[in-house]
Amino acid sequence: MSAGLTRQALRKHPWSFAGPVATLTLGTAVVSAGIGAQTSFGGAGLDAAGRRALAATDAADFATVLVLLGIYLSILIVTVTMAATIARQGRDIALLRTAGATPGRVRRAVAIQAAVVAIPATLAGVPLGTLACQAWVGSLAGHGVVPTAVAFRFSAVAWPAALGVALGAGVLGALAAAVRPARVRPAVALTETAVPRRTFGPVRTGIGVLLAVGGTVLAVASSTLPADQAEDLGLLVVLALCVGAGLLGPALLRVAAPLARPFGRVGALAADNVAVRARALSAALVPLVLSVGFAAIKVTAHTTAAHVRGIADPAADVWLDYSGSGVFVAFAAVAAVNALITVVLSRRGELAALRLAGATRGRVLGVLTCEAVVVTGTALLAAACVAAVTLLPLLHGALGTFLPYLPAGWLAAFVLGVFGLVALGMVAPAAVLLRQPAIEAAGVEP
Amino acid sequence: MDDVLELTGVTRQFGRAGPVALRGVSLRVPAGSFVSVMGATGSGKSTLLHCAAGLDRPTAGAVRLAGRDISRMRERTLTRLRRDRIGFVFQSYNLLSELTVRQNVLLPFRLGGPRGRPLAEVLARVGLTGLERRPVGELSGGQRQRVAIARALVTAPAVVFADEPTGALDPTTGGQVLRLLRDAVDRDGLTVVMVTHDPLAAAVSDRLVLLRDGRLVADSPTPDAAEIAARLRAVSTSAVTVPA
Repeated sequence: MSAGLTRQALRKHPWSFAGPVATLTLGTAVVSAGIGAQTSFGGAGLDAAGRRALAATDAADFATVLVLLGIYLSILIVTVTMAATIARQGRDIALLRTAGATPGRVRRAVAIQAAVVAIPATLAGVPLGTLACQAWVGSLAGHGVVPTAVAFRFSAVAWPAALGVALGAGVLGALAAAVRPARVRPAVALTETAVPRRTFGPVRTGIGVLLAVGGTVLAVASSTLPADQAEDLGLLVVLALCVGAGLLGPALLRVAAPLARPFGRVGALAADNVAVRARALSAALVPLVLSVGFAAIKVTAHTTAAHVRGIADPAADVWLDYSGSGVFVAFAAVAAVNALITVVLSRRGELAALRLAGATRGRVLGVLTCEAVVVTGTALLAAACVAAVTLLPLLHGALGTFLPYLPAGWLAAFVLGVFGLVALGMVAPAAVLLRQPAIEAAGVEP
Repeated sequence: MDDVLELTGVTRQFGRAGPVALRGVSLRVPAGSFVSVMGATGSGKSTLLHCAAGLDRPTAGAVRLAGRDISRMRERTLTRLRRDRIGFVFQSYNLLSELTVRQNVLLPFRLGGPRGRPLAEVLARVGLTGLERRPVGELSGGQRQRVAIARALVTAPAVVFADEPTGALDPTTGGQVLRLLRDAVDRDGLTVVMVTHDPLAAAVSDRLVLLRDGRLVADSPTPDAAEIAARLRAVSTSAVTVPA
């Protein structure tokens, strides 16, 4: 019994559930794809030689990893996206708390919301995952990674398993996200003026710099080590650099913001906006840097090896590597787009004020596009740094070169991919918001 | 008569080095009285209400409500006490806009509270009979505030706390809302503590408490609206020191 909070939230802010729904759809798709792959490998009528050939590849292990990865990333990203959903219900939660709802009851209400969205997510995710798995198994067989006798088979187990994962991950993620909002004192949520928060900007930036420098030093040191040891250290380097980049996010955006200034008045406005919102926007920067940096490392390692040696890596390695990275990137993309949409929605009143002050729809969208370019540029640059620092020592150890090779097609794909995501999260929701008459939007609570 | 609310040396500071909203405020409210709390913006009157109602915790000092010390009460116990013994009316209504009048008024029961007064009786009292099934989002401001009052009355609480209950209403509608609160005190023996900056609203109360810079500076039977306005001006102007 949630005393109406679930109904209130689903009716008042239906779009705020897009993030959790997208996350769980992706999660159930990945899980059902993993199950489908296992069924396909296990159910293929192979002879002894075929079974040995299949066992020699990592494909079957990879299918298991896929299921675990889907569960783990679902819980993690639902926590992130659900936090934004709950934040939009701040006033309603405060009201329920004054009327006598205990923190436990608020947490239960939030868990129910997650359980409700798990159902449509499963209905969409299983067919999507099945289609993706069909294509994936086909391409593995086509590339000779697995014996050609392996064909896609659907397993009905995918449905209950996916629903279980969606419910479990959704509820766990939601409970984690609700811990703080449920405990907040009602008076704090009801008061209009925010209590000044402790600024930990310098400390955050300091630790970020420390991690970035430490990661770089480690990378340089590892370039003299044997290849396999360097590779083990590589994981530590990536971790240090990514956490460092995450902590430095607001600072990076504040440094990058003035670069928009030369682009006329629209650029100046965008520069101010990015600088003011650096902290909120950095919530999108972290998943972008993580995913692009990770993908760039994987892709460049393979393309450089092929370039230097003159022959490509075995298709099996490349395909499994790219498939795994694809899952990471997809989850990170959901988190990034969700963070950006949250920022835009919280600016509803401000966008309306801009229009009431005389800005046309086109100009407001121009400002947002300009901001999107700044965020994209910052994310790409940070990701390139993370990838380069991690990869160069590894390349030197394995191939004897410090010169990475990335075909122009891949480079364009990274740039366009990131800009596409950022535009989807910033410009598209703003275009929808701007359809509403400004005077209506100006009066609404954020 | 017994004190239903008792504040002793209540201080509230936001953050370790942050602003101090209340500085050692002591106040006793006997059952069945109607108290107005006034003061300039930033004088700490809303914070006083939040601390007295258990929505916020004082940094120092004690708050006794309905015979129990709430300043160090566990969150769960405090929440139940709030649900069963306290009613709230806010300036911004604080209703669940997508739910009906009935669902909003019965919220304390849906949260597990005891049955107090019959719904029909409470709705008749505030003049909302026949609107039970309407979503609150479709009602006018005055009607919404009546829903909020109905919800505050339905548990037959020990104290009703009202924070600028007429702040968003026109004088006529605001007058009706105040009469409902006055009625609850006179006919049901309820206790009302109301924060307001409107002298006309404060005039319906029995007792006037003035705050300045987080300190209680005056406490007397409520005079007429003109006198209230004069006293309010006095504490407001002397509070503001404009640097030369």
